[in-house]
Amino acid sequence: MMKRLTALVLLTAVVVLTVPGVEAARKLRVVTTIPDLKALTEAVGGDLLEADSLSRGSINAHEIEIRPSMMLKLRRADIVVENGLELDRWIDVAVQGSNNENIVRGGAGVIDVSRGIPVLEVPTVRVDRSMGDVHPLGNPHYSLDPGLAPIITQNILEGLSRAAPEHRATFERNRQAFLAQLESRMAEWTKLMEPVKGSKVVVYHPQWIYFLTRFGLIESGWVEERPGIPPSPGHLVRLVRTMKDEKIKVLIYAPWNDQKLAEKIAEEAGAKPVLLAQMVGGVKGADSYIGAIEYNIKTLSQALRQ
Amino acid sequence: MHALVIVVVGLLLAFVAVPVFAQDTEALRRELEQLKRQQEQYQRAIETLSERLRRLESQPPPVATPPAPPSSPLAQSPANPQSQTAPPSATDLLRPRQPFALYQQRGSGQLLFDMGVTGDFVANITQHNVQKSESGTFAGRENRFFPREVELSLFGQIDPYARADVRIEAGEEEPGAGTGVSLAEATLTLLTLPYGTQAKLGQMRNRFGWSNVIHEHDLPWVDRPDVYRVFFGEEGLAEKGAEVTWVPDFLPFYLQVLGGIFNGDNETAFGHGRLTSPLVTGRVMTFFDLTDTMALQVGASVANGETPERLRSMLVGYDIKFKYRPDGWLHPLLTLASEGIYSIRRTERGVDVNGDGIFDTFQKQTRNSFGWYGWGEVQPWRRWAFGARYDSTQYPANPGYQWAVEPYVSFYPSEFLRFRLGYKHTERTHRDLLDLNGNGGSGRIMDEWFFQATFILGAHPAHSF
Repeated sequence: MMKRLTALVLLTAVVVLTVPGVEAARKLRVVTTIPDLKALTEAVGGDLLEADSLSRGSINAHEIEIRPSMMLKLRRADIVVENGLELDRWIDVAVQGSNNENIVRGGAGVIDVSRGIPVLEVPTVRVDRSMGDVHPLGNPHYSLDPGLAPIITQNILEGLSRAAPEHRATFERNRQAFLAQLESRMAEWTKLMEPVKGSKVVVYHPQWIYFLTRFGLIESGWVEERPGIPPSPGHLVRLVRTMKDEKIKVLIYAPWNDQKLAEKIAEEAGAKPVLLAQMVGGVKGADSYIGAIEYNIKTLSQALRQ
Repeated sequence: MHALVIVVVGLLLAFVAVPVFAQDTEALRRELEQLKRQQEQYQRAIETLSERLRRLESQPPPVATPPAPPSSPLAQSPANPQSQTAPPSATDLLRPRQPFALYQQRGSGQLLFDMGVTGDFVANITQHNVQKSESGTFAGRENRFFPREVELSLFGQIDPYARADVRIEAGEEEPGAGTGVSLAEATLTLLTLPYGTQAKLGQMRNRFGWSNVIHEHDLPWVDRPDVYRVFFGEEGLAEKGAEVTWVPDFLPFYLQVLGGIFNGDNETAFGHGRLTSPLVTGRVMTFFDLTDTMALQVGASVANGETPERLRSMLVGYDIKFKYRPDGWLHPLLTLASEGIYSIRRTERGVDVNGDGIFDTFQKQTRNSFGWYGWGEVQPWRRWAFGARYDSTQYPANPGYQWAVEPYVSFYPSEFLRFRLGYKHTERTHRDLLDLNGNGGSGRIMDEWFFQATFILGAHPAHSF
């Protein structure tokens, strides 16, 4: 009796381990560097994957503290989705600590979604750190420009299809459905921003250029005199004067910027400080990709109309 | 005469007016450049939108797929589909590879690896008797300003399977002597080994505790903690050999297990220096995200080797580190850490049997000693950090112990520049065991002031937690 039972258990185990469907049913495990990419990956992958982001929308994506808990997520990942353009180069340290051979730089499990992006603010002169934290490959904050979502999701689609070619058609269907949804919203957003097109704004950190350009707004100044370097008092005086002279109504800042400073400058210049979602989850109500853009559009258009 | 006066006045006016005019021109030029940049951005945006519109119009509804963006030949090549989906097999690894294949992806004019220079300069002021005995924190360099470590770092991927890190450093080791250049680290890391393993070989700072692996300029203090200085020497434990790490993927928390084999060259703790009786190291490290803002890292390390007299020397260490980083902050508000080392060392003790003052025989004995430090730092502002460290360390080969307290303040004008001012008070239970200089100097009680200036030029590898 005991022998039969043992044989039965062994047989069951062998069947379970060898049936291809068991392994195939496992979802793809995807880790993204920023929450925008998590949202877009989920839009393409749907139920076929589990996505997780290494950073949250409220923090500065340039300076992430590398925690070993990130390495654990990466250890289990089939795919890593990164922003590229040196925004998230910090992931190299986490990947190295994860001991996961699939996701090392140059590996098949790495998706760099910046490929094919028409990059703005690419330096045309020699850059060094006297200019602050300048990105030598261009401005990397493109992910919340809804007009670039087709390119980003195309990159994600290609990467996911490399890992799971049998699901390419599903990924493509999911992507098309998402883009169609985005397209319909895009018409509303464009209409909403139409009356304020051409308005000048001041930003805290130069991370809004893609979004502003998309909707025809003009970036007229920065709180940070040089990216990543706290501003000098002289620069702030000049900035306030410029805002007054040019009648700039809005100062845009992100959750990780110095809120008090942004409010003080806006107050002195007679402008309104506007907190926008720099990424998905950056502020309350910006919990999805479309939700984050919608929040930004509504908040900004309302502030510019006042 | 009138004409001369008119000419002189005219020239004066011209000189006065030129700077004003130049300022206006400069402002106009800046505005023009800004407008030009914006126009270029608009142009690009229009081109992108036009392209997108063209694609949308040219495709049958409801499909609206933009053309696939350019992708790397390595990832997309249909000729080699295996490389897209599977990690390299053992055969792949054995096959000769093009070492500079990555270059093709990076474009001309770019380096194949990252490069950076770090400069670390230290000044210290202390009592004259400490200088005479050369028993200060920076022995032999008391009351001096000196380049402690100027380091050239070269690091990057060798190929898709491995990376290399090379650090060459120079620094003053003796007053007035030329600056010596040495190889601080040169390692090869194999990244694509199976079963969650990774191998690193070469000359490296050992992963013993959390601070030993950190280079001098990156330490959160001016000097390395006393427990490391006493048990491993001024620069801590750095060895030549190989280590393998394993990170299991089935545990609910992060765990890194490490094993290593090294020559055992460290003269303070080991010194046998041969692989026939190597230094063997081990470490386990785990980590817990307590909340989104608080995290704890805990580790245990061991190093077991032989002294030149072929006597066993084993060191067991613990390390613990806590960080609190409020939501949205660019830096931690509070960091707390502690490391301790327990040393078990076989030593030879001379015995004077007949009382003639001369050792007649040597007895082997085991000396157990312990040292630790506790450290706390608060950084309420991005540019300023305040901290203090308390050290208490027994001597591993001799009787007695020392303790020290070291408060400091750090100022960061930017991420790449730091100034630090520190004070260290040290007390030892014994006067110097050997008055090598024979000049009566003593380091039993020391008060030292430190000034440190550190810069980073170019790329610098990031550190975890």
